Amino acid sequence: MNGIQIVLLTGTLLLAIYFIIRIKKRVIDIIFMSIVIVCATVFILWPDATNVIAHRLGVGRGTDLIFYLSVLLFWFVVLKLYIRIRRLEQVFTDIVRKDAIEKADHFSSKDNINNPLDSGEKL
Amino acid sequence: MNKDKVYIIIPVYNETLLLRDIVTQLLVQSYSNIVIIDDGSTLNIREIVTTLPVIYIRHAVNLGQGAALQTGFEYVKKLNFDAVVTFDGDGQHSVDDIASLLYYIDDGSADISLGSRFLGNNKNQVPFVRSVILQIARHINLIFSGLLLSDAHNGLRALNKKAVDLIHFSENRMAHASEILFQIKKNHLRFKEVPMDIKYDPTSPKKGQSSIDSVKILFDLVLHKLFE
Repeated sequence: MNGIQIVLLTGTLLLAIYFIIRIKKRVIDIIFMSIVIVCATVFILWPDATNVIAHRLGVGRGTDLIFYLSVLLFWFVVLKLYIRIRRLEQVFTDIVRKDAIEKADHFSSKDNINNPLDSGEKL
Repeated sequence: MNKDKVYIIIPVYNETLLLRDIVTQLLVQSYSNIVIIDDGSTLNIREIVTTLPVIYIRHAVNLGQGAALQTGFEYVKKLNFDAVVTFDGDGQHSVDDIASLLYYIDDGSADISLGSRFLGNNKNQVPFVRSVILQIARHINLIFSGLLLSDAHNGLRALNKKAVDLIHFSENRMAHASEILFQIKKNHLRFKEVPMDIKYDPTSPKKGQSSIDSVKILFDLVLHKLFE
C-alpha cells in the first residue's frame, strides 16, 4: 500500500464514521452512502479496476472517469444545497413577514388626513 | 374609483430623501391609505413617517423589493379594498400617473395595470444604456413568460382584488418584476400597459437599479424557472 492510498482510505473511513454517528433515517441515504463508501474503498485498494470500467465507457483512464463523475457529483451537491437555501429563505421570509405585519404601526388618525404635516399619534 | 378603497404600497429601503414629499403628494391627491414597507432599512424610516398618517410595516431584516411588496399585499388582503397601487419610494414615479393606472381597474377592463416609461411621448428621458438594457430585458421576459411588454421592470402598477389574491411573489429580490408576468400568464389575468412619467435625476444616479443588477436579475430568473 502506498502513501496516497493510506491518505484516501483514512479520509473515507472518517467519512464513514461521521455518517454512522449521525446516521440518517432515510433508506435511500443509507444505500447511497454505503455504495459510495464501498466503491471508494475498492477503487482505492485496486485502482486498476477503474481503468477497466473507464475503457468500457470509452474513457481513457480510470482517474479521468473518477474526475468526470466527481464533477457531476459536485454539481448535484451544489444544486441540492441551492434548493435547500431557497427553501430556508422562503421560511425566513415568511417569519419576517408575519412578524412585520403583526407589528404594523398605524400612524395618525383619520381626522388629520387633511393636514398631513400635523404631528400624529400612534393609535 | 373611491380613493378610500385604494391602498398605495411603497416599498422603501434607505430612501429617505423624498419619502415625505411622496407621501404628502399622495395625501394631497386624497390617497389616504398609504402603506410604507420598510425593508429593513439601516436608516431610520420610522422617524420620517411617524408624523404622517400612514401604515408603517418594518421587515426586521432586508429581504428585497419583491418580498416587501408581497408583505404589503398580505397586509392589505385582510382589509376591504378595491385596488392596490405599488409605488417606488425613491421619487422616480409621479403621483399623477396613479389615476390613469386606476382607470382601467375601475372600468373593469384589466385586473392589473402596469406602468410603462416607453409608451406616450416621454420616451427620450430614458438614458441610452438603461434603454438598451430594458430592451434586452423585455425580450428575455418574452422568452420566459410569453408576454412582450414595452417596459420590463417598472415598479408602478395597480392591481385589483383578484390580482392581489392570485399573485404571490416568491422572488424576494428584483426578479419579482419578471415573476409578475409569469403569474399574469398563469392566472390568466387581464393586464393593460399605461404610459407613465419616470424621473431620472442626473444629480442622483443611484436612483433605481444599477446596470449590473440586470445580470443578477437574469441569474435569479433562470434559477426561478429551474426550481419553481
